[in-house]
Amino acid sequence: MGLIAREVERHGIPTVALSVLPAATANTPAPRNVVVRFRLGQVLGEPGAVVQQRRVLWDALGAFAVITRPGGVIELPYRWKRSTYVDPLARGTGVP
Amino acid sequence: MTSLRRAWHQLLSSWYTRAPWWAALYARWGLAPVGAAVLPWAAPRVPFHHGRIALVTAAGVHPRSAPAFDMENPRGDASFREIPGDVAASQLMITHDYYDHAAADRDVNTVFPLERLRELAPLGVRVAPRHFGFMGHVLDAERERLTRETAPEVARRLVVDGATHAVFTPG
Repeated sequence: MGLIAREVERHGIPTVALSVLPAATANTPAPRNVVVRFRLGQVLGEPGAVVQQRRVLWDALGAFAVITRPGGVIELPYRWKRSTYVDPLARGTGVP
Repeated sequence: MTSLRRAWHQLLSSWYTRAPWWAALYARWGLAPVGAAVLPWAAPRVPFHHGRIALVTAAGVHPRSAPAFDMENPRGDASFREIPGDVAASQLMITHDYYDHAAADRDVNTVFPLERLRELAPLGVRVAPRHFGFMGHVLDAERERLTRETAPEVARRLVVDGATHAVFTPG
């Protein structure tokens, strides 16, 4: 996935790549990388967990403003069901 | 023989999901690293919440009406499938033997959050007209084809569509 992201970035479009495997990210990093400590095949969260998925997506988008050097990596703080997910659509919590 | 190989890969993918440290070991020791020495960089031209966002996934997502990815080639499949921005989630499916996509089969947003992206419209986010699905297992000649042909082609299409940002998701 990092290889495709690099090609898109070469064409002038900024990219951010989500990952559930930090080792894979280290192996082939994308220009911007967001690690989520979730399960393989569920990088956005559980099936039907709309707020959780929306929150992770919103935070991934936020990486465009946070990561400022090529190959930068951030890790989201969420730990599956143990975390609280604030809906970015809730008033006053969305736009940075 | 072919179906046996596919069954073996599907069994492995199930193990990877239950014991992800296996997948981490494979990622660390089983794949040739492609380092970060020459990473390209494009600064965002607009804030993401004023942007036109495209999704690109390596989770094997494609429209039901499109051909499935090739699961017979042990080197993988470097091709891609276009996914219209207004497609119904029920019209998407996954072809990928190298991770357990049982959860994503129930809700494709777990790996391809197109519906979640649409819901961000009140915050200013716009959805690109086309998104792209790859099958993330590509080795050797297929990896060459990815870097020389299919990834650049997707990049060109995103430029044509006026995408301002692209979010990549794995399987």
